[in-house]
Amino acid sequence: MTRLGRRQLWAGLAFISPWLIGLGVFMLYPVVASLYYSFCDYSVLERAHPVGVANYRDLLHDQLYLKSLLNTLFYAALSIPLGLMLALALALLLNSGVRGLTVYRTIFFLPALMPMVALAVLWLWIFNGEYGVLNVFLARLGIHAPGWLTDPSWSKPALVLLSLWGMGQAMVIFLAGLQDVPVHLYEAADLDGASWWSKLRHVTLPMISPVLLFNGIMGIIGSLQFFAVPYIMTPNGQPARSAYFYAMYLYDNAFRYLRMGYASAMAWILFLLILALTLLSLRLASRYVHYEAG
Amino acid sequence: MRAKSPIARAAVHAILLAGSALFLFPLLWMISTSLKPVEETMLNPPRWIPSALHFENYLKAVTYGSTTLGYIPFVEYGKNTLLLCVLVVSGTVISNALIAYGFARLQWPGRNALFGVTLATMMVPFPVLMVPMFVLFRHLGWVGTFRPLWIPAWFGSAFNIFLLRQFFLTIPRELSDAAVVDGCSEFQVFRQIILPLSRPALAVVALFSFLYTWNDFIGPLIYLSDQRMFTLSLGLQFYQSQAGGTEWHLLMAAATMVVVPIIILFFFTQRTFIQGIALTGIKG
Amino acid sequence: MLIRISKLLAVAVLLATMCVGFVRHPGRAADDGRVHIRYWEKWTGFEAEAMRRVVDTFNRSQDHIFVDMLTISGVDEKLLLATAGGVPPDVVGLWSSNLSSFADRQVLLPLDDSLKRNHISREDYIPAYWDLCQYRGHMYALPTTPGSLALHWNKKLFREAGLDPERPPRTLEELDQYAERLTKRDQRGHLEQAGFMPNEPGWWNFSWGYYFGGALWDGKNRITTDCPENIRGYQWVRTYSKRYGVGSLELFRSGFGNFSSPQNAFLSGRVAMEIQGVWMGNFISKYAPGMEWGAAPFPYPADRPDLAQVAYVECDTISIPVGAKHPQEAFEFIRFVNSQPGMELLCLGQRKHTPLARVSKGFLAKHPNPYIQVFIDVAKRPRPFSAPKTPIGMEYVSEMDAAFDEIWLGTRSAADSLGRVRQRMQGKLDRQLEAIARREGRGGAEEGRQP
Repeated sequence: MTRLGRRQLWAGLAFISPWLIGLGVFMLYPVVASLYYSFCDYSVLERAHPVGVANYRDLLHDQLYLKSLLNTLFYAALSIPLGLMLALALALLLNSGVRGLTVYRTIFFLPALMPMVALAVLWLWIFNGEYGVLNVFLARLGIHAPGWLTDPSWSKPALVLLSLWGMGQAMVIFLAGLQDVPVHLYEAADLDGASWWSKLRHVTLPMISPVLLFNGIMGIIGSLQFFAVPYIMTPNGQPARSAYFYAMYLYDNAFRYLRMGYASAMAWILFLLILALTLLSLRLASRYVHYEAG
Repeated sequence: MRAKSPIARAAVHAILLAGSALFLFPLLWMISTSLKPVEETMLNPPRWIPSALHFENYLKAVTYGSTTLGYIPFVEYGKNTLLLCVLVVSGTVISNALIAYGFARLQWPGRNALFGVTLATMMVPFPVLMVPMFVLFRHLGWVGTFRPLWIPAWFGSAFNIFLLRQFFLTIPRELSDAAVVDGCSEFQVFRQIILPLSRPALAVVALFSFLYTWNDFIGPLIYLSDQRMFTLSLGLQFYQSQAGGTEWHLLMAAATMVVVPIIILFFFTQRTFIQGIALTGIKG
Repeated sequence: MLIRISKLLAVAVLLATMCVGFVRHPGRAADDGRVHIRYWEKWTGFEAEAMRRVVDTFNRSQDHIFVDMLTISGVDEKLLLATAGGVPPDVVGLWSSNLSSFADRQVLLPLDDSLKRNHISREDYIPAYWDLCQYRGHMYALPTTPGSLALHWNKKLFREAGLDPERPPRTLEELDQYAERLTKRDQRGHLEQAGFMPNEPGWWNFSWGYYFGGALWDGKNRITTDCPENIRGYQWVRTYSKRYGVGSLELFRSGFGNFSSPQNAFLSGRVAMEIQGVWMGNFISKYAPGMEWGAAPFPYPADRPDLAQVAYVECDTISIPVGAKHPQEAFEFIRFVNSQPGMELLCLGQRKHTPLARVSKGFLAKHPNPYIQVFIDVAKRPRPFSAPKTPIGMEYVSEMDAAFDEIWLGTRSAADSLGRVRQRMQGKLDRQLEAIARREGRGGAEEGRQP
């Protein structure tokens, strides 16, 4: 190795040394350890006792586990597409050259910044069946609203509604992506006499497809780990476990029932699920996502 | 796509205005509730504007909730949250800048492979790490203290490494090459050339990690047991009585106080925020 | 120059902050020669005041231990986190329903040796309360304040409905009739006043089967959630949500104020009859001082008069977590709390009866709760029941809450819902019993850590 090469090697290792610890201690060790725990009966207060695949087998037969998984998938299946559509729609509107762009953008982005806990308690208040403001509005429109958080069929939709309110981050990313779309493409489309819908389908969407992919993957990762908001708004998944999500059951198993092994098994299944969905998205992406050369 | 016709423009404005009203409303309602006396919170049909502005709700929420809730040291929570934010932000910026420099501006064998591993770790969800980290901190005797909440930030995080590396790559080679020719060590190049040019990216990292720490809930939930050490996110829960029922006016006052600093911060750093988010989205 | 100074200042501030962030520790004890022990308790407000008086008396009565009492919200969850994290307090106040799961997970220290050494035994207590603190033959706690339940009713609302305010319902059928007469709606058809709601306050959703002669497990290894008596009990619960309409009831409930305030459902006259514990009298005199109320044993089904001997008991408990730094001193404090003077000070302050067998005459004479004897009698009944003391106790209670919701809302029938709970809980119980067998088969090497 040349002298320059050696200097760069030492310098390189020196610069990344914090990460060597971070990666080793706070990432690789936990990943390996949790895999080990997932094959054990472990309560932290006692030594870990290997039990083979018992945890995984029990999970497959655990009705509450399956319920929490279904609840989470339902939530993700609703909140991701709706959130993306709303974010994109708002971004398109903002990108159309209206005045006051910054003000509107701020207003739509603000909720995404706030502590989830504060939002959760605020919407707990808004969704209140008796005094909640939402139902007052709906009543004025003549709609007889459900009890939201006290009705098992509506607790998840209520949470989806809350997540829509926080779609500001995706919107801002879409906006940036839209602003990057080369204007000449639209001009060419106009020359061909394309309608706005046609322009949307054939110019805009393909051009921002990488951004769409990114937001989609972020959405998957986030919604599958949904925890803080339901922990506050629908503790124990009430009513009737309708709002009991994967991460909540995981937390309960780990820190309420001291079943760390079981919780680790759940964590690993979640990991694999996220990986699978991400790979699926990337595969779909390679077919549909268009990267502008250069 | 630009809206050409005046009708289209008006329509867009109308939709945006309506949307803004809908989006703003919950926040305004939060503030309105926080200024009401308790009797006016439970009214149907609801009262939009409080009869009198009860600013003392804020004082009550901060100093002494109610006889039933016991003492809620809200100011303590603010101090604790700020302490953690300072520590996490400085740790994140410093460590990740160093690490990203190592990945971006230096060539050494194994660099790309290690970076690939780094990227891969972004996929690992928090629950996988949660239990072993808890066990680790237990062995270290750090449970119940602030340490698990800020010390890991000083050892890098994949997302920030990725962000800063992308940015560092865009700085022209000639600048650092010239400095090396002048006899600078790598660290000097880092400090005197790269860092000053990276202010926007560093600001984004700082802002994001501030937000993350201010809003963090599950970390404090797991590691903090002494109520006097709680953070704002955790402390907000106290206004919800365990036995049932909530004092909405006080809870909304507390929630407003937790949210307002973020809004103020945002107004001063809007541009950086938006740039930063765009950076993550486009490059990601 | 200025830049250099500000940079140095920034670094100094950062280092100082890091020191604080590193060193900050819960409760640094003062240096006064005493052993400082940390005591986590759940109580707030005047209930906490009562315990604080006991703590102060203890601290004053001797000079080698100082008890530092902290009110902790969600003390059971926090205790698990702290003990698992290796930093538990020295003394902790829990609920009796926590004990079986906590004891099973080895979170609490067994107290048998210390109790024997100090000559504290079952005879000193009302038996039901002593038994609550036992798990698999060992004592893991001592009671602090006892709780038994009774039906509380609002005499003024009785009068308004044309009922004799001095005569509470004696059978469940009577309860249903009274509830009917005590329910009022306003012009919109919304509920204004409810006669009785099984889920108000909703703290004992798992218990309804017991009033009909059922049980949640057989005490050994079988989960019996869906035995016929339990099903009957929950079907009875369902009659309430059916009769008054789930929507109306939930709407009504959303408007209930804070429990510890004049807007409490019972205190504000929104609910006319409520099953509540001995502490209720205290809350009534604090938040609704003019209210005329009564308390009587909870009704039984007319066709099962033998069930008049059934009673729900629970208590607050005091224990020493595993890993406590000062278990000996902790036990000394617990012993003081459980002495007759200590206990009477505490229970009088919280306006409850005492779990001890012996009561001083003055205690009953000056007791502010006019119905205190009702609660004592209920606690002494021959067929007490409590939250099932299975190793999976907490999870089971949580499941019962969810099942109650399903049944109440009508999403599932009682038989279906309870059957599913049984299936799930039996599996979990079997697993846990396996683990216990394994642990005890290892020769109990992990036991024997006693103060």
